Amino acid sequence: MAGTDHIRNFCIIAHVDHGKTTLSDRLLEQTRTVQQREMKEQLLDSMDLERERGITIKSHPVSMLLNHEGKDYLLNLIDTPGHVDFSYEVSRSLAACEGALLLIDAAQGIEAQTVANANLAMGQSLAIIPVINKIDLPGAHPEIIENQIEEVLALPREEAIRASGKSGIGITDILDAIVHRLPPPRWADYPQTRVLVFDAVYDAYRGVICYIRVFSGSLKPGDEIVFMGTGKRTTVKEIGRFSPQMLPEESLSAGRTGYLVTAIKELSEVKIGDTVTHTAEPAKEPLPGYKEVRPMVFSGIYPLDTNDYGKLKAGMAKLQMNDAALTYQAESSAALGFGFRAGFLGLLHMEIVQERLRREYDLDIISTYPSVVYRVTTSDGEVKNIDNPLFLPDPGETEKIEEPTIRATIHTPNTSIGDILALVSEKRGFCDHTETVDAERVMLVCTLPLNEILIDFNDRLKSITKGYGSMDYELGDYQEGDLVRLDILVNSEPVDAFASIVHRTKAESRGRALCERLKEILPQQLFKVAIQASVGAKVVARETLSALRKDVTAKCYGGDITRKRKLLEKQKEGKKRMKQIGKVAIPQDAFVQVLKTSGS
Amino acid sequence: MQAKLGDNDTLGIYLHVPFCATTCDFCAFHQEAPSRPELDAYLRAMEAELCLTAPVGRVETVFFGGGTPGLLGVGDFEKIFAALQRHTDFHPVEVTVEFAPSTVKADKARALRELGVTRASLGVQSFDEKLLEALGRRQSARQARQAYDVLRAAGFENINIDLMFAYPGQTAEAWTRDLDEAVALAPEHLSTYCLTFEEDTALWVKLTEGGLRRDIAAEADLYQLAWEHLPAAGYAQYEVSNFARPGFACVHNLNTWRMGRWRGVGPSAASQDAGWRFANPADTPKWREAVLAAEAPLASPPPWAVDCVPLSPDLLARDALAFGLRLNNGVSLDELRARWPEADETLSETERFLADLVEEGYATLCDGRYGLTVEGRLRVDAIGAELVG
Ligand SMILES: Nc1nc2c(ncn2[C@@H]2O[C@H](COP(=O)(O)OP(=O)(O)OP(=O)(O)O)[C@@H](O)[C@H]2O)c(=O)[nH]1
Ligand SMILES: C[S@@+](CC[C@H](N)C(=O)[O-])C[C@H]1O[C@@H](n2cnc3c(N)ncnc32)[C@H](O)[C@@H]1O
Ligand code: SF4
Ligand SMILES: [Mg+2]
Repeated sequence: MAGTDHIRNFCIIAHVDHGKTTLSDRLLEQTRTVQQREMKEQLLDSMDLERERGITIKSHPVSMLLNHEGKDYLLNLIDTPGHVDFSYEVSRSLAACEGALLLIDAAQGIEAQTVANANLAMGQSLAIIPVINKIDLPGAHPEIIENQIEEVLALPREEAIRASGKSGIGITDILDAIVHRLPPPRWADYPQTRVLVFDAVYDAYRGVICYIRVFSGSLKPGDEIVFMGTGKRTTVKEIGRFSPQMLPEESLSAGRTGYLVTAIKELSEVKIGDTVTHTAEPAKEPLPGYKEVRPMVFSGIYPLDTNDYGKLKAGMAKLQMNDAALTYQAESSAALGFGFRAGFLGLLHMEIVQERLRREYDLDIISTYPSVVYRVTTSDGEVKNIDNPLFLPDPGETEKIEEPTIRATIHTPNTSIGDILALVSEKRGFCDHTETVDAERVMLVCTLPLNEILIDFNDRLKSITKGYGSMDYELGDYQEGDLVRLDILVNSEPVDAFASIVHRTKAESRGRALCERLKEILPQQLFKVAIQASVGAKVVARETLSALRKDVTAKCYGGDITRKRKLLEKQKEGKKRMKQIGKVAIPQDAFVQVLKTSGS
Repeated sequence: MQAKLGDNDTLGIYLHVPFCATTCDFCAFHQEAPSRPELDAYLRAMEAELCLTAPVGRVETVFFGGGTPGLLGVGDFEKIFAALQRHTDFHPVEVTVEFAPSTVKADKARALRELGVTRASLGVQSFDEKLLEALGRRQSARQARQAYDVLRAAGFENINIDLMFAYPGQTAEAWTRDLDEAVALAPEHLSTYCLTFEEDTALWVKLTEGGLRRDIAAEADLYQLAWEHLPAAGYAQYEVSNFARPGFACVHNLNTWRMGRWRGVGPSAASQDAGWRFANPADTPKWREAVLAAEAPLASPPPWAVDCVPLSPDLLARDALAFGLRLNNGVSLDELRARWPEADETLSETERFLADLVEEGYATLCDGRYGLTVEGRLRVDAIGAELVG
C-alpha cells in the first residue's frame, strides 16, 4: 500500500458568505487543478441555483495535486455550505476529513455559524486552521478578529492566517499550513477496508453515485462490497476522484477521497454515513456515522393545474433522489386538490426545493403556509403529531397542544442587545444566558418556539443588527402553548393553503398582517373580494379588495372580432394560471408572497 | 332602414384600404404611405380577391375602412364598386367610407355620394390643437370643421365623427368641450374612443418609457362623462363607444357585434363566413401576391388566411353574448338559443354568471334581455373574458 503521509483531507467551513467558495477558487488555481481558461468565479458552485443565488447548497469535493518543498502532495478539499439549513452537509463532510480551514470574514468577524461549525469540527477532533479572510476589504480589522479567535474559539491568535480569496493574498501560507499543520489520514492501519459514504447523488445514467472517503484498505472496480449499516451487497462498477469532474481511477486506497458507482439505482437504498467494506473480509466495526437529519418545517406542495399531479409526483421522487433531507407524503386539500406534505430542514431549504420543482421539472406549484410538527393530546388521551394546520383537532376535543422549541445562539453587537431581546420576547422566547464575545459583541442563548422563527426572524435579526447579527439553532424540547388555528377566507370561503397555527395572542396581529398582504398581492377582480382572518367562528381581521375600476376596450370594430377575442381568451388564460377559489382568482405566487409578510 | 340582421342570407363587406399620408402616434392599424404603382397593384388585387371569393348572399352593408379610404381617387372607388356589383349580390342599405379631414375634397365627396356611398365617417379626434399635437395627428380643428361642411354640402345625410379621449392629463372640462364642439356640428353619429395604447405605436413607446402615465380612474370618469353627456344631447348610446340619433346606428358594425356574416377584403381584413373566422395577412405585398397567385375555385378559408378558427354554434353563441353585451340593447338568451339551438347547454351554463352580474349591479335583466349597467359596461372586457370560454 502506498503511504498516506502525502495526503491531506480538509474542509473549508465558515459562516455563510465568508468566502469559502472564492478561496477554493484560488486553491484550485494555485495547484493548477483547473486550467486558467476553464476558471470562473465560485467554480465549485456548479448547480444553477447555487450560481444564481451566490450561495453554496451542497458540499463539493475536489482533489488537488501540490508539489511543495520538492514533495508531491494530494490535497482533498471539500467546500461546504455556510447556511444554517445545510449544516448537516458540513457535519458529513467533516467526518471525511482530518482538518478544517475555518474562515472568518475580516469585516464581519465571528458569527453564529462560525462558532457552530468550529464546534462541529472540534467535536470530530479535527485540526483547525483559522483564516482571517477578505483582508482586502476597507472595513477589515484583523486584530479584532484575532482577539475573537482567542476569546470565542479558544484558538491561539498566532495560528490565524491573514488572507483574501478575492485578491489571492495568503494562499501560499494556507497551502503550507495544510501540508504542515494538518495531520495525514487517520485510522489508515485498520486491518480491513473501511470506506465512509459522506454523500450520495443520483445520476440518470449511472444510478447512485456515492461520495466516499477511504479510511483503510482500498477499493477497485469489481470488488464485492457490503454497506455495513443497511447490509446491502453490491459490486464496485467504477471508482475515481473529483477533479472537480469525476475522473475514473484504477483504485482508491487509504486516505483518498472520491466517488463510487455500484449497481445501486435507488438513492433510498444508500444511507449517508454508512461504512462500506469488502464482503469477503469485512470490517468488525463501522466508522462512526452521524445522526440522521430530521425535517423541521413542513408545507404542502400542490400542482397549480390538478392534472399535473402525476408530474409533480415524479418530480418530487426525482428531487428526493438528490436531496435525502427532503421528505414527503401524499395529502389532499379542499381548495388545492391532490398534492404532498413535504418536510424541510428550514425555510431556505423549502424555497430551494420549490424553485427546483418549478425550474427543473417545469411545474407550476402552490405551496401552503409552512408549519412545524405540533404534538396534540386529545381528550381521550391519544397523542397525535400534527404537521398540517387543517388536521388540528377541534378545541373541544383537545387536552393540550405542545409545540417544538429551538435553542438559538444569537451573535450580536452590544448595541443591539435591547432590540434583540425585545424581538425574542415578541416571538414568545426568552434568553437563558449571555456570553461576552469581545468588547463589542455578545452571544445570547435563547429558547424560542420554532414556529416563531419560520418566517421572518432572521430577516428582522439582520435588519436590527445592520447585518452584523447572526443565529444558529438546534431543536429543543416541546412545550405546551395556547395555540389556535388561524383561517384565511376569501369571500367567506376558507383557503386552506393559508391556514396556520398560531399562539392565541398572535392570532389578531398575524391575521391582520395576512389580510393586508393578501389585499396587496391579489389582483383586482371583476367582483369585490372580502378577505378575512378567523379563529373558529370569530373573525379577527378583515379587508376588502375593491373591484377593478375599469376594464373595457374602446374600439371593437367589425373585422376586429378575432383579435379582440384573442385578447379576451388571453385574459381568461391568465386567470386559468391562477387558483380559483369561488369567484376569486389567486395568482400562484400569492401563496409564496404571503409568506413574506413581516410579522405583526 | 334595418337590414335582416343575423339572417344567414345576408352579409356585410369590409374593405381595407391600407394607405395613410402620415402615421398618427396612437395608431396600430395596418397602413403605409401610398404611391401610385402601389395603389394600382392594390386595386388589381382587390378586384381579384372579390372575384375569387365572391361571397354567397345578399350584401347589405359595405364599409371602407383603413388606413384612409378617403385617399383613393374617384376612379379607384369606381373600380371597386364595379367589382362589387359584378361579383356579389349587391343591394347595400349602408355604404360607409372613412375619411381623414385632409382627404375630404368637394368634388370627390360629391362623386362618392353619387356612386352610392351613404355614410361618411370623419376622423376628427379632437378640436383641441394641443391634444391633436399630442396625438401626433397632423391636422387642425379648422380643417376638421371644413371637411365636415364639405361632406354635408356634398349631400351626405349620415355623417359620423370620431373623437378620442383620455390622453393622459385630459380634464373633464377639455373632454366636455370636445363633445360640445362635435354636437354643435350636428352629425348623425358619434364614436368616442378612449385612447388605447397599442403595442409598438409611438405613444406606447412613450408610455413604457415612462413619459406618460395612465390613470385608470380618470379614464373611467371620462367614459362616464360621455355616456351621460351625449344622450342628454340627443345621441342615444347603443354601444360602448357609439352614439347615434334615432335610426342612425351603424348597421354594418351592429351586424358584426351580433355575430352575423361578414367578408373582409384587403390586407389585414377579417372575415366570418362560410364556416370560418379568419384574417388576411396584415402585410400588403404578401396578401397581394397570394391573392394574385390563387386560382378559382377557392376553398374556405382561402390559402392566404391566417388565424383561422372554425365556426361552431358554441363559439358564435358565446361571442354573440360576450360582444352583444357591449350593446346597450343587450342580449336575450332566448334569441341566441333560437339562432343556435345546439348551443343551448353552453348558454345555460352562463346563466349563473349572468345572475351574479345582476346581483352585483353590473347588469339588469328586463323582459328576458341582459343589459349592462354603467358599472358593468366599464368592466365589459372582464365580463367578456368569462364568457368566451
Ligand atoms: N472583498 C472580498 N470579497 C470576497 C472575498 N472572498 C469572497 N468575497 C465575496 O464574498 C461573497 C461570498 O463569497 P463566497 O465565496 O460565495 O462565500 P461562501 O462562504 O462560499 O458562501 P456560502 O457557500 O453561501 O456560505 C462574494 O460576493 C464574494 O465575491 C475576499 O477575499 N475579499
Ligand atoms: C382606423 S381609424 C380610420 C380613420 C381615418 N384613418 C382617420 O384617422 O381619420 C378609425 C378611428 O379609430 C380610432 N383609433 C385609432 N387608433 C386608436 C387608438 N389607439 N385608441 C383609440 N382610438 C383609436 C380613431 O378615432 C380613428 O378615427
Ligand atoms: S388614425 Fe387614421 S390616419 Fe392616422 S394612421 Fe391610423 S388609419 Fe391612418
Ligand atoms: Mg460557498
